[in-house]
Amino acid sequence: MSELKADKLVDGTLAWRAPPPPLVRRIATTISNVWYELRKSRTASIGAVMLVLLFGACIGTPWLATHDPIKQNYRERLQPPSEKHLLGTDRMGRDIYSRLLYGGRRLVTIAVVAVTLSLVVGVPFGVLTGYFGGLADTIGMRIVDGLLAFPGLLLYLLFVTVAQAWKFEGVMLDVVLVGALALAGMPEKARLARGSVLAEKQKEYVEASRAVGDSPARIALSQILPNILSPLIVTATVRLGFVILIVAALSFLGLGTPPPTPDWGSDLSAARDYMETHPLIAAFPGLAICYTVLAFNLFGDGLRDILDPRLAER
Amino acid sequence: MLAYTLRRIAQLIPVLLVLSVAVFSFVEALPGSIVDTLVGTEGGDIEEARAILTKEYGLDRPVHERYVLWLGRALQFDFGKSLVTRRPISTELLSRIPATVYLAAVGIVISLLIAVPLGTFAAVRRNSAVDYTAQVTSLAGISIPEFWFAILCVLLFSLYLGWLPSSGYVSPFEDFWGSLQFLILPAAAIGFRQAAFTTRLTRSSMLDELSKEYVDTARALGHSERKVIFKYTLRNAMIPTITISGLQLANLLGGTVVLESIFAWPGIGRAIFEAILQRDYPLIQAGVLVLGCIVVVMNLLVDLTYRLLNPRVTFA
Amino acid sequence: MTDEANKKGPESTRREFLTATTALAGAALAGLPGSAEAEPKRNPKRGGTLRFGTRDDSIALDTHRNIIYFVSHPLTGITGGLVDFDDKMQPKPAVAESWDASSDLMTWTFKLRRGAEYHNGQTIDAESVKWNIERIKDPKISHAFTRSVLSDVERVTVDDKHTIRFHLKEAHAALDINLIYYPVNLMAPGAVDTADTHPVNCGPFKFKSWRRLDVCELVRFENFWETDSEGNSLPYLDALVGRPKKEDRVRLTALRTGELDLIDNVAYADAPAFKKDHGRTFDTWNVPQVGTAMMFFNVKNGLLSEKDNPDAHLLRQAIAHAVDHEGIHQAVFNGIGEISKGFYSSASPWHSKDIEGWPKFDPDKAKALRKKAKGGDEKFTIIANDTFPYMQQSGELVHAMLKDAGFNAVLEILPSPVMLEKQNKGDYNIDSTANSYRLDPDGWYGRNILSTAPENRRRIGYKNEKADQIILAARKERDQAKRRLMYADVETLVNRDLPMLYTHFVPLMMAGNRARVKGFNVSYSGPWSYTGAGMRRTWIEG
Repeated sequence: MSELKADKLVDGTLAWRAPPPPLVRRIATTISNVWYELRKSRTASIGAVMLVLLFGACIGTPWLATHDPIKQNYRERLQPPSEKHLLGTDRMGRDIYSRLLYGGRRLVTIAVVAVTLSLVVGVPFGVLTGYFGGLADTIGMRIVDGLLAFPGLLLYLLFVTVAQAWKFEGVMLDVVLVGALALAGMPEKARLARGSVLAEKQKEYVEASRAVGDSPARIALSQILPNILSPLIVTATVRLGFVILIVAALSFLGLGTPPPTPDWGSDLSAARDYMETHPLIAAFPGLAICYTVLAFNLFGDGLRDILDPRLAER
Repeated sequence: MLAYTLRRIAQLIPVLLVLSVAVFSFVEALPGSIVDTLVGTEGGDIEEARAILTKEYGLDRPVHERYVLWLGRALQFDFGKSLVTRRPISTELLSRIPATVYLAAVGIVISLLIAVPLGTFAAVRRNSAVDYTAQVTSLAGISIPEFWFAILCVLLFSLYLGWLPSSGYVSPFEDFWGSLQFLILPAAAIGFRQAAFTTRLTRSSMLDELSKEYVDTARALGHSERKVIFKYTLRNAMIPTITISGLQLANLLGGTVVLESIFAWPGIGRAIFEAILQRDYPLIQAGVLVLGCIVVVMNLLVDLTYRLLNPRVTFA
Repeated sequence: MTDEANKKGPESTRREFLTATTALAGAALAGLPGSAEAEPKRNPKRGGTLRFGTRDDSIALDTHRNIIYFVSHPLTGITGGLVDFDDKMQPKPAVAESWDASSDLMTWTFKLRRGAEYHNGQTIDAESVKWNIERIKDPKISHAFTRSVLSDVERVTVDDKHTIRFHLKEAHAALDINLIYYPVNLMAPGAVDTADTHPVNCGPFKFKSWRRLDVCELVRFENFWETDSEGNSLPYLDALVGRPKKEDRVRLTALRTGELDLIDNVAYADAPAFKKDHGRTFDTWNVPQVGTAMMFFNVKNGLLSEKDNPDAHLLRQAIAHAVDHEGIHQAVFNGIGEISKGFYSSASPWHSKDIEGWPKFDPDKAKALRKKAKGGDEKFTIIANDTFPYMQQSGELVHAMLKDAGFNAVLEILPSPVMLEKQNKGDYNIDSTANSYRLDPDGWYGRNILSTAPENRRRIGYKNEKADQIILAARKERDQAKRRLMYADVETLVNRDLPMLYTHFVPLMMAGNRARVKGFNVSYSGPWSYTGAGMRRTWIEG
């Protein structure tokens, strides 16, 4: 009872409600729990270590890279790994090791921003439609279903092609890609959030807030949202790996960022011509993609076990 | 149940409307025009030719008019002619969609053949070496880019071992056994990847079932472990696996573009991709709309089946 | 590839390109090392089905409405026209048995072969040829590119059942050659209704079925007009199955695993190793110059145009000094083929040694000129078509070289419809492109260098009065040696003014299963319109 405090009098009765758990503290607690739990889940701890290495490489790229990733030198093309070029050189004589680093930094950033953006847009969308129900819900969910009905990669293909009309270049091209990925990832998050809200809406603390007259939007976003974060975090982590595979597939189809920007997908695609004669050129970006996706998947998988107590018992 | 079904069907209409508007707008926004590419750049009378084509294709009318016209015809399954080949789009779709369905369906079957035994075994022998192997393999399976995996398979099975053709397609209606040869590699590439998801799903729903009371009861009644697993739990655990596989199948229809281009498979995904590059507007619109219909109908069927098999889900 | 590259969809692009492809194939072949080696002579056999893997496919079936890319479209097997080539690239009789031009080159008369038929049994008479020419000249129907060949044709008249006369608006010395190079092919007037679904033409093979980018099935035309020296009717093959496989690697793998008998476009990356490791089981045929790769500079407008920038020429010189041709030779073409200083490679009768080349690779000079020139720090755009790997890769490499010289360059790789739009609007500075080989040099200089030519005005905007004079004079010059020298002078002007920078000749390699494919050879227009060799005289062994 000590955690409850009389907030205000409504119609002469004392209304009780739980103190709204501050978002920051909740996340901090979650994180510290995660670190604690990580040691229990083998997959999560392996994933975490892999991710730390990955992010370390991304952040440290400018210091770790030995060459300019777009500097060509045809006199040294298709070289095997050596002291000068740690992983050898590609068909244009560019340093594969440096390209991997810069490409990874770019790819991971794109994936993280895109997934974050799809959360930022999708979750409030799902929470609000779910909470309000009625017409807003119907319209909102039909839009979501309409987007989900775009089969497979086609939504990305169309979006990226349309984006060629806008005069974007360099980083802005990546921004377009991020937009497409976020848009396509949004429905999934919205649906998940909505489902959780529908379940959460019935719970007592929501009833209590409503009784004391908090605005519905406030209840939905500041009360319910924090309570449904766990499944969202898990989905988002796994989604990161998935997004990286999509970006690679788009590059493979020739719709990625144009060269010479280092890009694992298009580097891999370009290396196909040399798969028999110089197999290492294709192996490195392929392995890099596998490593990164695996890291996100392992971590997400472990996280799921930890954050979902029902599963964690297993 | 009937009322629920009808309501769900009614809800499809706005969804498909949203889809049709979305695809129409995307196509409208594509940079570059098919008319330019069709009339070429030489010949002196380019402007005249361009005007003739623009009129013939109705591209001179306002957007909303074209949308309404297109939708009206699409409702009667008249998608018009491809602007490039001038052949009816329905013919094109009818030859492409079965090829993709064939590939995707066999891919899903392969994934189930791998995933169900592996997932079940992993759940029954939880935390055993088999379990860990299954988990690690399935995680790795999800993590490999499919095109890379496919290319490696071609190198190994076609080039070095010479067991299978590297690419191509034969219709199963013409030569069933012959078609299998071409199918194996692409279907296996899909199957392994999907199996990675399905194994995990089977394992966890199996664990779910095994922890239920009826299992203890059955064991207490002296049923053999084999009977408990195969007769009771596996059947229940299959429900989510099968339904998710249905959803995967629907999603694969547009998701096999990459494999279709590696294996020169004449599927619908690649047809739409080529149409996007060429700006064959009606083919893109019809292709996406028809695939979208298949996806939402599949989703609905999966949903209804799930409810039929699992009556505990309320008809909310 | 080339200019045509951007005209129609990806396919058409290539088509033209390769039309040329085999450009000098024939000629080159004659003495080319690496071509199929001589074998003990064997007698051709009738029958058999050839499986042909191509990079490309036709986009539709009506051969007037769409351009047929000679080398890489299996459908080309159904086409036939008035004239063919031989291995010296000289025009040879086909449906037309003989022809003649009036002395003022204003009237051309073609005598038709008696007994030649369309696939539906209809006789190829003068009226039907006239109908074809008129259909191709109709802007409502034909493709502009095919139509452009006939733009000088005022009208066609029928003298008698087997004689047809072309009346020209302007004198044209190469009408016969252009009728082959630009595919002016004949279709049966009686079957025009099925042109989009079941084309009826007059080539060595008849149409059977087609599923775009999957399969193209053709069967032997039993009444084809040609016979071999022993009087056997051609073609030898019973059927031809085209299997378009876009990915170079996929196609090569399919050849090696025995799924295909013959393929086009072996990737440059694979060519040397393939010849070395598999030369015993596979034949290869080289076409030394399918086309010519180059960078077009947009001198219509923008940074590199005198109109908008007084130092534009200085900037173009700086760019030329920054480009290392040897790098393109190695990294893009894998050391295959030749660096180009003009449009015609050493395999061509129009090749000239008397050309003053482009500015030599000199990064320091490039940097100095760039700093000196106005607009040297501004951003400029390189565009490249997404269909041809070497265009993209050349663009990629030039982009890197310009970056090295301190230029602020961006690279865009775009599909044909977008390329076309950018070219029309002048929304680019450098276009990494290529042009297909043209048999008569006026096809290149008169279309891309002459200041009044629509294609030059659309894409480049180059104007040099002296060059114009030479090109116009060369049109009327009948002495080939003199004419060649005149064009060499034009090339020198081009390399000085730099409306474009020639980079490399585009080679092409075909490969076939040595044990099965016999008698095959390629010519100027690929294995098709080839008298005395090519697909018509190919047979299958075993």
